[in-house]
Amino acid sequence: MTAVRSIPGRRAPNRTPAAPVVPSRGWLADWAAAWSGFWFTPSDPLPLAVIRIATGLILAWSSVVWLLDADAFFGDRGWLRPDQVWRVNDQPWQWSGYFVASSPTMIRVVAGLTLVAAILLTIGLATPLAAVVAFLGLVSAANRAPLNVFGLDDTLGMLLVPLVIGPSGARLSVDRLLAGPERGRGGEPSIRATIALRLLQVHLCVVYFFSGAGKLFGASWWEGTALWGAVANDRYRTLDLRGLAGHPLLVNALTLGTLWWEVGYAALVWPRLTRRLCLAMAVLVHLGIGLAMGMMEFGLAMIAANVAFVPAATLATLLHPFTSRFGTSPQPLPGTPSDLP
Amino acid sequence: MVLMQGLGGNARRWSPVARACASVAILGYLAAVVVPPLAGPAPASDLAGRVLQPLRPLVGALYLGHGYRFFAPNPGPGHTLRWTMTMPDGSLRSGRIPDDTLDRPRLLYHRRFMVSEKISALVPPADAPPEVRERAKRDWQPLVKGVATNLLRREGGLSVTLEKVEHYLPDPAEVLASGTFADAVTPLGSYAWAEPQP
Repeated sequence: MTAVRSIPGRRAPNRTPAAPVVPSRGWLADWAAAWSGFWFTPSDPLPLAVIRIATGLILAWSSVVWLLDADAFFGDRGWLRPDQVWRVNDQPWQWSGYFVASSPTMIRVVAGLTLVAAILLTIGLATPLAAVVAFLGLVSAANRAPLNVFGLDDTLGMLLVPLVIGPSGARLSVDRLLAGPERGRGGEPSIRATIALRLLQVHLCVVYFFSGAGKLFGASWWEGTALWGAVANDRYRTLDLRGLAGHPLLVNALTLGTLWWEVGYAALVWPRLTRRLCLAMAVLVHLGIGLAMGMMEFGLAMIAANVAFVPAATLATLLHPFTSRFGTSPQPLPGTPSDLP
Repeated sequence: MVLMQGLGGNARRWSPVARACASVAILGYLAAVVVPPLAGPAPASDLAGRVLQPLRPLVGALYLGHGYRFFAPNPGPGHTLRWTMTMPDGSLRSGRIPDDTLDRPRLLYHRRFMVSEKISALVPPADAPPEVRERAKRDWQPLVKGVATNLLRREGGLSVTLEKVEHYLPDPAEVLASGTFADAVTPLGSYAWAEPQP
């Protein structure tokens, strides 16, 4: 081992130039720059396009189901009379097209328009208008039939607002095909795409945080038995998992894994090291709920929301086998930030 | 996050005024997303309730008034509404809401299931103190009348009697012992058309 001693009065020659000192802009200016970078950095609209397709499909299916029993959901002599809606909806400004269009014919017209808008949204034709009409249709149904809505409708609302705001038809859409090559690639990096995806990312974090925080009130979540409560509830059951009764430690692990994933999601989904784990867990949890508790539409909608955290380059790679046959392979745009988070 | 250094100039930047306007809109939207789950369901602070007040039009208009407390605080038992109807010829017809044998596809089942779950959440158990049951009745009875109206319209009956059924939630030991479980039934009353139907 070589001993090193200092030599008083002599200084080692400075062989490397000193790094330039960046003057501090101040705490507020740093915040403003971070805010601007977070919200106003253009990004690839590809994730938004994927979310658009998934949302359109789920909303179209939901609209078909509303239509199957339209008089009961939206009619004057249905589950909830119009003058009693306030008992379930306590927010002002809870508007609905069904309050105006209450005849059996008009009910079907409004629900049918929502279905058409959802289909147009899926294929990306007249996308900006379709997104607005789809959102109006979703909210009209949810506000007129509050006894019949659940987490699926909350999630569709969360998904549709960013689709209205961002250029969700810029990729993987009929709009883009119709625009032709002379109108540009149609999928240029966009600040509106960033804002839309960021809103969805933050909203998703809020959903998981409050869902997890609410569970912390419950003893069964701390005890690791809450999952059993879902398994044993025969009203939800579509997959019989009562065999878990003989495996209490497995029930503990599944319950606690779900709880702490939800509680930690808002922090762990941003760092690259933990993002993949967070998203993989999201897929497992939501598919599990969909398969075992019969809420597949809700599960798929939540998985679609998680796509906001998937980098555009990853999506382009995943989609390549499906889209290359049609000559519309969504290659990552040159210079586009490939990982928005 | 990878910033825009590599983009060259192929994306237009927004002016400071545009960014400021967008920032205000973003903050407003985020407030409408975050405050409702802070303000409810109970327990919730007075502060959150007061902050929510000016946001209520925006929250209502954008359908953001959600608490996001899925399966919280604890997953509970499931509920159905059981009905027995007297038909014009004097015969009886019965059913339940939801009915997993009739309500297909599954999403239709789930939308009907929400009716029984949301009404059942307002109905205290049959052994609750009378004053509690009477107070709660003012909340749930108008909703049950709607359910009765819908059933009478759909089935063409004269009157209908409704009951809330709370399905027993067995623990693992009870399932392993293969026992039979008794559900809790709470009467919700009988209902008929106020005037003759055409």
